[in-house]
Amino acid sequence: MSSEVILRVEGLKKSYGKLDVLKDINCAIAEGEVVCVIGPSGSGKSTMLRCLNMLELPDGGRIELHGNEIYGGGKTHDLDVLRREVGMVFQSFNLFPHMSAKENVSIAQVRVRGRKRSEADARSVELLGKVGLAEKVDEYPDRLSGGQQQRVAIARALAMDPEVMLFDEVTSALDPELVKGVLDVMRELADSGMTMVVVTHEMNFAREVADRVIFMDQGFIVEEGNPDDVLGNPSADRTKQFLGLVLSR
Amino acid sequence: MEVFFDTYFDFSFMSEHFDEVLAGFWVTIKLSLVGGFFSLLWGLILSVLRQLPGRLLAPVRWLTIAYIDALRGIPLLLVILGLSAGLATLASEGTIPREIGIPQWFGESDPFWYGVIALTLTYGAYMAEVYRAGIEAVPRGQMEASRSLGMSHGQAMRFVIVPQAVRKVIPPLLNDFIALMKDTALISVLGLVETVQTGSDLYSEFFNPSGYTLGAFMFLIVTIPLARLVDWQIKKQDEKFQRGIP
Repeated sequence: MSSEVILRVEGLKKSYGKLDVLKDINCAIAEGEVVCVIGPSGSGKSTMLRCLNMLELPDGGRIELHGNEIYGGGKTHDLDVLRREVGMVFQSFNLFPHMSAKENVSIAQVRVRGRKRSEADARSVELLGKVGLAEKVDEYPDRLSGGQQQRVAIARALAMDPEVMLFDEVTSALDPELVKGVLDVMRELADSGMTMVVVTHEMNFAREVADRVIFMDQGFIVEEGNPDDVLGNPSADRTKQFLGLVLSR
Repeated sequence: MEVFFDTYFDFSFMSEHFDEVLAGFWVTIKLSLVGGFFSLLWGLILSVLRQLPGRLLAPVRWLTIAYIDALRGIPLLLVILGLSAGLATLASEGTIPREIGIPQWFGESDPFWYGVIALTLTYGAYMAEVYRAGIEAVPRGQMEASRSLGMSHGQAMRFVIVPQAVRKVIPPLLNDFIALMKDTALISVLGLVETVQTGSDLYSEFFNPSGYTLGAFMFLIVTIPLARLVDWQIKKQDEKFQRGIP
């Protein structure tokens, strides 16, 4: 791929006590690319995603953002820069319950980006409109459905104007009828050229939206490639087995 | 039964000595408010010290934990007696200045200030645990979401974690305040004329325990509404998280 690499990961390792969750992860995310990460639970895909944002401190390897080392030799650098440029959406939404939808989206713009409150609020209203919540800007999270909360969370991450968006199983905690609204927002985001790394169990989403699919198992990247190859004609036995179980549902 | 009422509920005695008991209760109130204020502050400092991050500050955390464990495990009466005796001895030997060893600041007596210090040392330890529980009760995802937006640890605490923790700690802090207010009675051992000592003085002089009863009523006028306030606060919080089941 010719476009610039935004995130590069080399030899990433992570363990909890004796359990090695990530053994040797190597990958690069290019600008504008949508990468879906699939794999069985416990394969390390969420941990990898959380390492990209340093919510988990790796135990070895290197992470680069735009060629600048963010993690390497056991040390972290410029964590705040990394987190400002990398947006994250969680499985459990994690909206701030004591703030309205608009305040949720504005707070980091004001406190981290240093925008004026009025400017930030205007941007929040615009983004909430984009995710289909124009009428909910003043609602508090406990008055919103799971799908609506997750769309607020997406708007909150987008408000920081990140270069990459990370999605950690963002539809897994949702009722089935609410999943589509969130996936539609993500699809639009992908179409607009946003760089995205998406850990997901939604195989159809991966097939239709991803530029590249990564299959992980037991702390390794087992297979990667374009979605039709990985999902339609996998080469590794482990991938075949996993897809056989998932797609036969 | 009538003997009981005549002994404890001698209303003419109560009205005759109402002003004296009220003056004692006013000392109790002052002691509670000043002691409560410093306990809140000291507890907050302790809870922050206990949660300082990093390997370098581990000794500070251990010392703080040791302090909290010790003060929660020692009777307040012992702290009061030990503290006043120690400070007074050191001051009379000239090891520490007299103004600190025998404090009589802002026109209050030294037993009053010994009481404030002892209450602060002990209840600060209790309240530190309440603050800690409140902060730990905020889900982990709140800190992660804040950090993922680029906020520093301090900003996340200030704008996201503490505002949520405060709501959770108000009822237990009020409970501790009620306990603190009742425990001010222990400072009567230093001769401070607060509610209990006033009742005791009246009993010695007139051989009538109704002064104690009047003092008890005055406590109840403050503590019962406070306890109701705690219940109401807890109920209000529960309603936010429970539905159905009346």
